[in-house]
Amino acid sequence: MTDSPTRSTPRPAGAAEAPAVMEVRLTALLVTGALLAGALLQVWVPPGALTLVVASGIAGAVVLAVALLTPGRLRATIAGFRFTSTLLVALAVFAIIGTLVLQGKPAEFYRLRYGAAAPLILGLHLDDVFHGLPFAGLMALFGAAVIASAAQRWPLRARNAGFFLCHLGLITSLGGAAASAALSIRGRIDLHAGGETATHVRVTKAGMDTGGAAPLGFDLRLDRFDLVNYETEYRVGYYRQELVRDEHGTHKQWKLAASFDPDLAKHLLPGGDTFRLKAIWPDFTLQDQVTPVAAGGQPALEATLEGQTRWLLPGERLATPDGRAAVVFGWERPAAPPGVLTAFLVSGAERKVIVHTADGESEVALAEGLALAGGAVRLGALVPQAQRTRVPATASAEWKRPVVQLEAVRDGVPAEKTMAADRPEALFLDADHALVFERRDGEVKAFLSTVTATRGDESLRTVVAVNEPVTFAGWTLYQVNYNPQDPTYSGLEAVHDPGVAWVFAGFALISLGVAYMFYVEPRLKGRRRSQPGVPASPAQAA
Amino acid sequence: MLQYILAEHPFFVATGALYAAAAGFYAAAWRSTRAFVGRAATALLCAALAFNAGLIVERWIEAGRAPFKSLFESLVFFAFTTGVVYLAFERLYRTRVFGALAALLTLALLGYALGKWDAEIVKLPPALQSAWFVPHVVVYFVGYAAVSLAALLAAVQLLAPRVPLLQRLTTLRAGTILTGKALDLEQMTYELIRFGFVLLTVGLLVGSVWAKSAWGDFWVWDPKENWSLVTWLVYGAYLHLRKVRGWRGDRAAWLVLLGFAVVMFTYLGMSMLPTAEESAHVYTG
Repeated sequence: MTDSPTRSTPRPAGAAEAPAVMEVRLTALLVTGALLAGALLQVWVPPGALTLVVASGIAGAVVLAVALLTPGRLRATIAGFRFTSTLLVALAVFAIIGTLVLQGKPAEFYRLRYGAAAPLILGLHLDDVFHGLPFAGLMALFGAAVIASAAQRWPLRARNAGFFLCHLGLITSLGGAAASAALSIRGRIDLHAGGETATHVRVTKAGMDTGGAAPLGFDLRLDRFDLVNYETEYRVGYYRQELVRDEHGTHKQWKLAASFDPDLAKHLLPGGDTFRLKAIWPDFTLQDQVTPVAAGGQPALEATLEGQTRWLLPGERLATPDGRAAVVFGWERPAAPPGVLTAFLVSGAERKVIVHTADGESEVALAEGLALAGGAVRLGALVPQAQRTRVPATASAEWKRPVVQLEAVRDGVPAEKTMAADRPEALFLDADHALVFERRDGEVKAFLSTVTATRGDESLRTVVAVNEPVTFAGWTLYQVNYNPQDPTYSGLEAVHDPGVAWVFAGFALISLGVAYMFYVEPRLKGRRRSQPGVPASPAQAA
Repeated sequence: MLQYILAEHPFFVATGALYAAAAGFYAAAWRSTRAFVGRAATALLCAALAFNAGLIVERWIEAGRAPFKSLFESLVFFAFTTGVVYLAFERLYRTRVFGALAALLTLALLGYALGKWDAEIVKLPPALQSAWFVPHVVVYFVGYAAVSLAALLAAVQLLAPRVPLLQRLTTLRAGTILTGKALDLEQMTYELIRFGFVLLTVGLLVGSVWAKSAWGDFWVWDPKENWSLVTWLVYGAYLHLRKVRGWRGDRAAWLVLLGFAVVMFTYLGMSMLPTAEESAHVYTG
C-alpha cells in the first residue's frame, strides 16, 4: 500500500492533515512543474516521436531516481493514489485538447482555420500535443509513478499479484509504445497488377509523405487486384425535403426518410400516407395479349419459333435472330420472304402451313399445337377476330430490369406510376415528399490484393485485405487504398514496428491484472482476514 | 413517425411497451407489500429483454451482419445491455428499488433510437468486417450499461438527502429490498464502476488490437479513441481517489456522474467536435 491515508487506517485528524497537505502541494508542484518546464523547453526542442520518447525516458528516470533515493514525502507522493489520480486527469485533459485542435497539419492550415487562435496553437505546439515536451513530462511522471508504487508494494504475493500484473502491463505497453514511436517505419506502396515490382516504401509521417524511402528487403509484386461489391438491391425509397445548413447557407435537401423492400404489401409512410406496389416485374418486358372480339378485329395466330412466342397479325412474321428461318402469317397464303432459307407460311383462310425451303414446298394442315421442324416451330391458337395489345410482363424471375407499378394514397387521393429502377423517376406526394423505386449498388464490400513477396529463395504468394494484413520479413502489409477509375491499382501500407508485440503483451497483462485485482484479490484478502489470529485491519493489528 | 413505427415495426413498439410496463410495476412495488407486484415487474423486464433480444436477432438476420453499425442499432443494443446488467444487479443485491429507474433508462434509450431510426440498413464497410467487431462492441456496451447504472445510483445518492421520495426509496422494505438490510449506495456504485472499468479496459485494448489489424497502427489519436481514453482515465482516477481521504461520499458520486457524462459524450457527441471530420468513428444515422 501507499502512505496515503485511507478509511481503514484512522489517525488523529491533525496527524493525517499535515502529510495530506504536503502531498497535495508536492503533486501540484510536480505536475505543474513538468508542464511548465515542457512548455518552456519546447521553444527550442520541437515536438516529435523521438522527442517524446527520449524526453519522457530521461525525465522519468530522473524523477524516479530522486524519488527512490530521497526517502520521505516525495517518494510517498509519487507512489500515492492522489498523485496518480492527478496525472490521470491531466492526461485526460491532453487527450481532450487533441480532439479540439486538429493534429499534425501544416501551419497554414491553422492560420486559415483557427484565425486569431492560430499563433497560440502553433506557439504552444498544440498542433502536435501528443509529441510535445509537456506531454512527455506527464508521461515521465506517470512512468515514475507506476514504478514507484510497485516498489512501494513489493514483495509480490498472490493477494497483490493483480496490482503487479497491471503495473507491469502498463510499463510493458509504454515501453513497447516508445519503441514503436522511435523505431517504427511506416510507408506507402502503390502497385499495379502485373506492373513493376516494389522494393522500397515511400516513408510517411502522420499520413503525409516525407519524401524519403526505406528499403523493404524483399521484392513485392501485385499479381491481381479484386474489387468486390455488395449485391445489387432494389428498394422503394421514401424521400422528404429537409432544411440543411452548410457553407452555402440554409436550404432544402432531399433526404431518404424510409426505405422498403419491393413487395406487394401495403405500407404506411412516416407522414401517415400509404403506398403499395400493385405489380412487380423483375425482368420487365412487353408481351402480346390477344382478346377475341365479335367484330372489327383481325385474325391472330400464336406462333413459337426457337423459344420466342408472339401473336402474329396478317403480314407479320417471327424470325430467328440469324434470319435463316421464319414463321409468316397471312389470311391468304403469304409469299416466302426473300433470304429466308426455311419459311413456315401460314394461311389462315386455308388453315394450312406451307413449309418453304430451297428444295421445294410441302403442306401441312394447321391445327392448334402443331409442331414442326422437330419442335422448333409450334403453332398455337388461330383467333379469326381478335384485338392485340401489348402488356407488361416479366421475362424471368431474375431481377434484371425491374419495373414496378406503384400506387400511393395521400389524404385519401390515390396516385399511380409505373417506375423502372434503371431510370428512377419520383412519384411526388407533394412538393416535399416523394417515392422512388431505385437500385442500390456500387458499395464496396472488399478489396483484395494478391501479392507475391520474394526474398532470395523465399517466396510468399498471398492475399492482403482490409483487416487481414500479411507479415513478411519483418514488414506487415495492410490494404489501405484502391482507385475505382483504375481497376489494376492497389494502395498498400507497409509497417515495420518492433514495439507492437510489447504493446499487446502489455495490454494482455493490464486486462488480466485489472480483473484479478478487482475480483480475485478481495477474495484472497477476505479469506485471510477470516483465518483465526489474522487481524481484520492494520488498526486492529496495531 | 410513431404511427409508421407501429404499423411497420410492431415488435419494436411491443418492446418499448414491455419496458414501460416493467417500470410501472417496479414503481408500484415501492408501495405494495404484495410480493407479486415485484415479481411481475421482474417478469415483465425479462419479457422486454426477450423482445429486445428478438429485435437484435431480427436485425442481425435482415442485415446479414452484427447490428451495431448505426447509432440506431447501437441504441437498441445499449437498451438491451442496460436491462441485462440491471437484472444481474437485482439478483446480486436482492433489491428491486432501482428497477423503475433502470427500466425508464432502457425506455429512454429506445425512445432516442426512435428519433434516430435508420432510413435503410447500411452495409458494413471493409474496415468493420473484422472478428474484433462484435467482441469490441459487446464488451463496450456492457461496460457502458454498468457505468450508466452506477450513474443512476450516484444521482440517487446525491439527491436522496434533498428529495424525500428518493430518501424513502433507499430504506424501503416493501417488495423491493429482499435482504431486509439498508442499501449501501456508495459500495454498489463502486462495484458497478469496478465491473464497468474492467470492461472498458478490455474494450479499449481490443479496439486497439483491431485498429492495428485494420489500419496498421494500434493508436492513431482519433477523437473517439481519445475520448474512450478520457473515459478510462476518469474512472481510473475515481478508483484511485477512493483510496484517498475525503474522496468518498458526494465527491465520489460527482466523479461518477462526470465519468458518465464523458461516456455519453464519447458515445453521442463525436460529431460535435471540430476534429470529427478526421474521425473514422462518427456514427452514421
